[in-house]
Amino acid sequence: MNIFDNNFKEIFSSQIVSIIGGLIAGTVLALYMDKILLIPGMLVFLPGFLSMVHDISGTFAARLSSGLFLGVIKPNKVETKIIKGNLSASFFLAIFVSLILGVIAFLFNLLVLHIFTIKIILLPLIAGALANAMNITLTLFVTFYLFRKGHDPNNIMGPFVTSAGDIIGIISLLIVLVII
Amino acid sequence: MKNVRQHLEKLRKISRKKYHPLIHKIHKKHKISKKTLFYVKEYGQHSNVPRTIIRESIKILMLASIISSFGGLSLEHIKTVFVSIYPLIILLPALNDMVGDYGTIVSSRFSTMLHEGKIKKDCWKNKELKKLLVQIIIISLLTAVFSSIIAMIISSLSNYAVGAATVYKIFSIAIIDVIFLVSTLFLISVYAGFYFFRKKEDPNNFLIPITTSIADFGNMIILSVLIMLFF
Repeated sequence: MNIFDNNFKEIFSSQIVSIIGGLIAGTVLALYMDKILLIPGMLVFLPGFLSMVHDISGTFAARLSSGLFLGVIKPNKVETKIIKGNLSASFFLAIFVSLILGVIAFLFNLLVLHIFTIKIILLPLIAGALANAMNITLTLFVTFYLFRKGHDPNNIMGPFVTSAGDIIGIISLLIVLVII
Repeated sequence: MKNVRQHLEKLRKISRKKYHPLIHKIHKKHKISKKTLFYVKEYGQHSNVPRTIIRESIKILMLASIISSFGGLSLEHIKTVFVSIYPLIILLPALNDMVGDYGTIVSSRFSTMLHEGKIKKDCWKNKELKKLLVQIIIISLLTAVFSSIIAMIISSLSNYAVGAATVYKIFSIAIIDVIFLVSTLFLISVYAGFYFFRKKEDPNNFLIPITTSIADFGNMIILSVLIMLFF
């Protein structure tokens, strides 16, 4: 049984990419810990917020890749019905799920900590819109670029979306924290 | 070729709500894969693309977010201890990504093995499955150690005192967390995969959301318990 075969190498290298993104995001989180984590209820929505950014961009990349391979989506034509539909659906889902996350954190603050903070709803909502606007756009162009260069986006986009999503997610939260 | 186009156009015009026998006929006659035909029908001219995507994704995304938030509740509970352990804050997103990714890899690989007919009744005797388990355990160990080392280097560069006791605790937390969750996800994937496959369903559609949600939730719970035990 050859353990260290091609599958091992592929899984290991994609994990290294994913971990590096996670560690960069973690470092930013640690650097601004006093601003981010000391807000009541922040840790309630943070894990869900980061996985929401990955999930939305990940499924978007997977749908694009399938369409590109099947020839339904043309690699040199972005303004089509399918792509516009995908973009608007992904963005709507991002806003909706961010709102749900904010409401859960708000209810936790209200019912458990007895703190009334409406900002805890606005924070994931605005940061979610900002993070997904950046990550979805990036995902669209990177998927098309990889396909045009002859790569299979399915093999690369998973770890890429996870890494980029973590970094963009944390930076968006910081930006929104400064604004509100 | 003109004949194929005519059939595909006919397929695109059909309401996308239900599986249509025409898919099977075109698949048989023109040797076009069912996945291609499904995509053409799903996003054809009579389907509202955003509505299709939103309707199919919203439930699972909401469920995943709620499960992750419940995991976050446990971490919020030990927040004062957690924010004082700098290397663990750095490790948190990486650990979450790692465990979720292993869940996805195991689920999709096991589903493929089931579809290919490689898995028989006594699945634990299957060499490929054993090999996958060993590979995932080795990779998760290596990545847990690697990410812990990087997190501690970054912490010490940021003037956080990383003593021998902290090194031991961070390594222990990262390794126990990852190994426990990866083993649990492996067991869940195998048993749930068998269950859905026997029910003539595609295990891919169920295993990935199940394992990623359990990974997110489980990681927060296990981390909280381990932090309480070690710190």
